[in-house]
Amino acid sequence: MTRLLRSRWTFWVLVAAALCLPLVANIVEFPYLVRVGGVVGLFMLLSLGLNFTLGYVGLFDLGFIAFYAIGAYTTAIAMKHHVPAPVALLLAVLVTVAARAALGVTILRLRGDYLAIVTMGFGEIARLTINNLDALTNGPKGMQVRSWRPLAFLAKDPNVQFYLLIAAAVALGAAASRRLEDSRVGRAWVAIREDEVAARLSGIPVQRYMLLAFTVSAVFAGLAGGLFAMWEQFVTPESFVFWESTLIVSIVVLGGMGSIAGVLLGALILAGLPPLMQATLSTEWINYRYLLFGLILVLVTLFRPQGLLPSSRREAELNS
Amino acid sequence: MSSSPKARPLLEVKDLAQHFGGLKAVDQVNLTIHEGEIVSVIGPNGAGKTTFFNVLTGVYQGTRGEILFDGERVRGLPSHEIVARGMARTFQNIRLFQDMTALENVMVGRHTRTSQLLLGPLLRTSAFFEEEKATEARAKELLEFVGLKSLVNERARNLAYGAQRKLEIARALASEPKLLILDEPTAGMNPTESVDLVKLVRKVRERGVTVLLIEHQMRVVMDISDRVFVFDYGVKIAEGAPKDVVANPRVVEAYLGKEGA
Amino acid sequence: MLIQQLVNGLTLGAIYSLIALGYTLVYGILAMINFAHSEVLMLGSFFALGVAMLLPSAFGTGTAGLIGMFAAAMLGAGLLNAIIERLAYRPLRHISRLAPLISAIGVSIVLQNAVFLWISTQSLSFPQPVAIRQLPLFGGATVSSLQLVILGAALALMVLLHFWVEKTKMGKAMRACADDISTAGLMGINADFVIAVTFFVGGALGGAAGVLYGMSYGSIKYNLGFLPGAKAFTAAVLGGIGNIRGAVLGGFILGFLEVLASGYIPNGAEWRDVVAFSVLIVVLLFRPSGILGEKIAEKV
Repeated sequence: MTRLLRSRWTFWVLVAAALCLPLVANIVEFPYLVRVGGVVGLFMLLSLGLNFTLGYVGLFDLGFIAFYAIGAYTTAIAMKHHVPAPVALLLAVLVTVAARAALGVTILRLRGDYLAIVTMGFGEIARLTINNLDALTNGPKGMQVRSWRPLAFLAKDPNVQFYLLIAAAVALGAAASRRLEDSRVGRAWVAIREDEVAARLSGIPVQRYMLLAFTVSAVFAGLAGGLFAMWEQFVTPESFVFWESTLIVSIVVLGGMGSIAGVLLGALILAGLPPLMQATLSTEWINYRYLLFGLILVLVTLFRPQGLLPSSRREAELNS
Repeated sequence: MSSSPKARPLLEVKDLAQHFGGLKAVDQVNLTIHEGEIVSVIGPNGAGKTTFFNVLTGVYQGTRGEILFDGERVRGLPSHEIVARGMARTFQNIRLFQDMTALENVMVGRHTRTSQLLLGPLLRTSAFFEEEKATEARAKELLEFVGLKSLVNERARNLAYGAQRKLEIARALASEPKLLILDEPTAGMNPTESVDLVKLVRKVRERGVTVLLIEHQMRVVMDISDRVFVFDYGVKIAEGAPKDVVANPRVVEAYLGKEGA
Repeated sequence: MLIQQLVNGLTLGAIYSLIALGYTLVYGILAMINFAHSEVLMLGSFFALGVAMLLPSAFGTGTAGLIGMFAAAMLGAGLLNAIIERLAYRPLRHISRLAPLISAIGVSIVLQNAVFLWISTQSLSFPQPVAIRQLPLFGGATVSSLQLVILGAALALMVLLHFWVEKTKMGKAMRACADDISTAGLMGINADFVIAVTFFVGGALGGAAGVLYGMSYGSIKYNLGFLPGAKAFTAAVLGGIGNIRGAVLGGFILGFLEVLASGYIPNGAEWRDVVAFSVLIVVLLFRPSGILGEKIAEKV
């Protein structure tokens, strides 16, 4: 199973399937599907990012959404100042990476539970700061983002345009993760998770590599945030509450920590099912989605802690 | 076969101390280890031997004193830098990466001798591929060297105890150390396995690696050591050739207590 | 003005201390952060409300009302916490450090959303069994009878806890387990039972805090627990997580800091939450073991 999931053939099949989604939506006259696809894609990006810190290195990060917010708001503010869109996107990534690196340098000597709490605290600080700095961010009222239609030649519908952009980003992100996984850096990261002391005594500069994973994850968050801002054309602090961070953590846990395929599947389920249910079932159901999601978290942890599609290593770790 | 008397000093420890508050785990330790030697450190439990190794390898910073490794001051350096300078170790309680294969474990050991970071793997440069191939080849060679050739793709947690100890040694050797530090390498081994390990340690020395080990099995100590240091209560109480040390009344007293001497 | 701030800080600190004690007791014995603690305290307030509504004549007003609400909240929250431990944490204890934490987050989400599904974002008004009077203090400050009740209740509970931990057999067993759980087991202590009791006590303290919170704000809602829980956790860490006196110390320090910050920083009220989280980060950076905590080194 693992070999099938990791083969290049599978990758291209999935890319093709993803590209077909807008066509399918058109045929079944369900344009909302494209929106859902976009949202799922954004969460896939975010989860792929968190996979570096939580999945590979095992750092319990509960404030990742803050960097999504930083990416989104950087883009919004840049666009407001007439920065061309692609540059705004690049800026989003750079600022997010810088902020993440700064945080990492400060807090990465903490472990386990402490790290979880501090990252959660920082997530809240970020949200509250965005909320309170009215002059810069327009506070709780939110900011409009200037329009950008990059793929207008491909499709009229901006949802489709951004869906394709996001899908491309996810494909790139998954490929990048795969390549890093199977390299000296990837091995070092997993070694740190398995036994930090042994890793250090094998010559790995643990602190530096944790910071590296931390920073790499920010690239994904910043990119996702920028795309989000440009697509929705509106950002508000309410999109970046603590529960979004737990959603991303849940996706990584549900899917299988350190498993790219698992993380993607997890995002498909946890970020895709609720809006689909909302659209197709009665409105009562959507209120149950968080309840369901909490239950899933508990049940999966209890009965299948290795996740849905565990990386082969993780499976071995938890089955022993 | 012991090293020639003129062999240069590889490790010089001067007045080394590691205090934890009021507890003097290691105190006023002076010793020298020469290139090519196999040196054992013995002493009763709690004598500070592992703490001493921990200070050598940067796990503890040391409270006082100097450690000169190949002429360079290394006390207080972070562990990964000490490994890069040529000191590698194994642990009293085996610390392998349990869910990695034997091959992957040893490949991780190559970390300080390799350099690819992010761009190589992301862009799949030829330099990246070459380094990966070389790392894998070296790792396989080391696994063969320690006698684990057939277990290359086994998960570390599935290996037999003796094999795990050998794997740890292979991983340590992967960093091309000048000094290999083994913490109780024969712990939990039966006599046959211990003999096997002694042979391996000799092979390691033939490769040009100096070996320093903590050992409890006296048979092994007598068999393998050029010199022996004896620790008790954090202090070095004796040093010399194995047969001299064993006869030293102070050493006997440390192990057996005054009445037993 | 300063005196008023101090009084307010003392009151807020008392509530934080109670909640922090819940975190610290659990952490001390299992080295685990009970993420669901904030929801347990929230449900404590709802249990109290339930009792007051079901039996208004007996528990709606006056001292009987107060006692009834506390009893309901503490019993209910304590039992809930113990049940959660049994079902969602105990099976995961041996799997990894991370698994119980994730399960705790899940439980937290389930509990919060269960209440949300019931009453949505409404605030339910909370009974006020104590007639509110402002009593003059020196320096122009006043202390309300409510604040006195809060302080009194909190202090009484802390004294009781101290007595329980130091003088009773179960308390001693708990301290033994917090110190070294495997050795405690070897000494014949039923660790699982002690853990269950610890969760009960921690939950009960949280439930009491929930009641005090409800009385302070006059209303309760589904997400009542999140912020106080997070801040109280900060307080526990500040004082030294796992250390009972530390939790109390941290709770009061945080209460004072928050009130002073909102009083003296321009636009302080908006930033008071940030204060708590910033304190958290600063403390963990410079003194991760907290004020009264101990460092535990890993044996290599």
